[in-house]
Amino acid sequence: MADRGAWRPPRTCEDYWSEWKHCKGIRNLFHNYYTYGEAPSCEQWKIDYGNCRKWEKSKSPDAKESLCKSERARILEKQKYDPVWQLRKSPPRDWYLPLGQDKPK
Amino acid sequence: MDRSEPRPPPQEVAEGEDFGYRLFPERRGEAKPQRSFLSTSLFTFNHKCQLMLKIALDTSPYAQLLLDAMKQSGCTVYKDRHFACEDCDGCVSGGFDSATSQIVLCQNNIHHQSHMNRVVTHELIHAFDHCRAHVDWFSNVKHLACSEIRAANLSGDCSLINEMTRFKFGLKQHHQTCVRDRAIRSILAVRKVSKETAEKAVDGVFDSCFNDHEPFGRVPHSKSDAKYAYRNFQNRDRYYANL
Repeated sequence: MADRGAWRPPRTCEDYWSEWKHCKGIRNLFHNYYTYGEAPSCEQWKIDYGNCRKWEKSKSPDAKESLCKSERARILEKQKYDPVWQLRKSPPRDWYLPLGQDKPK
Repeated sequence: MDRSEPRPPPQEVAEGEDFGYRLFPERRGEAKPQRSFLSTSLFTFNHKCQLMLKIALDTSPYAQLLLDAMKQSGCTVYKDRHFACEDCDGCVSGGFDSATSQIVLCQNNIHHQSHMNRVVTHELIHAFDHCRAHVDWFSNVKHLACSEIRAANLSGDCSLINEMTRFKFGLKQHHQTCVRDRAIRSILAVRKVSKETAEKAVDGVFDSCFNDHEPFGRVPHSKSDAKYAYRNFQNRDRYYANL
């Protein structure tokens, strides 16, 4: 990780604020219910916003640690399921081939 | 270059299997209609399709995010190479042809910009999956199911309004019902498999694929959601550097 002086929150504080406001809004309440059958949980965005501002003001190590922990938890949440396919190490070799050099169907 | 991983033994190809190409007669090399009054109309359809495609690529935040993500993955999309406006059979709106790395748009079935935006997004999700993963489109129904789940989930196909226009009414978790049903329909349209096989494939991969929101990071229910997702995507370097 970068040295202490170079670290900054993974998102800008404005991003945390706007994600919180967006999460809390009535449209998102509807979309979450339509998708998952329940109201969204938005509290973490507010906590992250608070920590972001705390970091900006006082470079608090607790605020930094909380922010990192929160974002890593978001990533782990997305990696809960085993992937269906194997990721490529390079793009398909025929992506840029001119048309007409297709494989026979 | 592309290191092919060992492939699982291909499933037996059903007799008469055409992998959906019957829906796209121009892809089968059938002769285009001769010039006539009708072909003037076709020319107009083609021109309109090209115009709506350009508008979709230039203005839809869904498309812009997907184009950027594909560029990042090494698959820059060129409109003239990777898109084709063609006449299609039936009610199909578009398709992704992995054999030619082309997105086919059905110029005779897409008449509104909002529909074009959605089809472009849907097919770009297939193209994105093709670009970033070893998707076995032709032999592995689960792979196809996964991409169809993702495309139905993330393209706006299953918005409440779209479902209501299909006379499908539901609210609580209806999005998931819609995604499942549309994925099954898409598989049945392009593969000669039984409904049970399609359902089993979709149900087997549903949890994993419904929760795979790449490259959006969320289910974009609106242009506003897509803009948030695009902003996060553009910020990814800072994000991962500071975790």
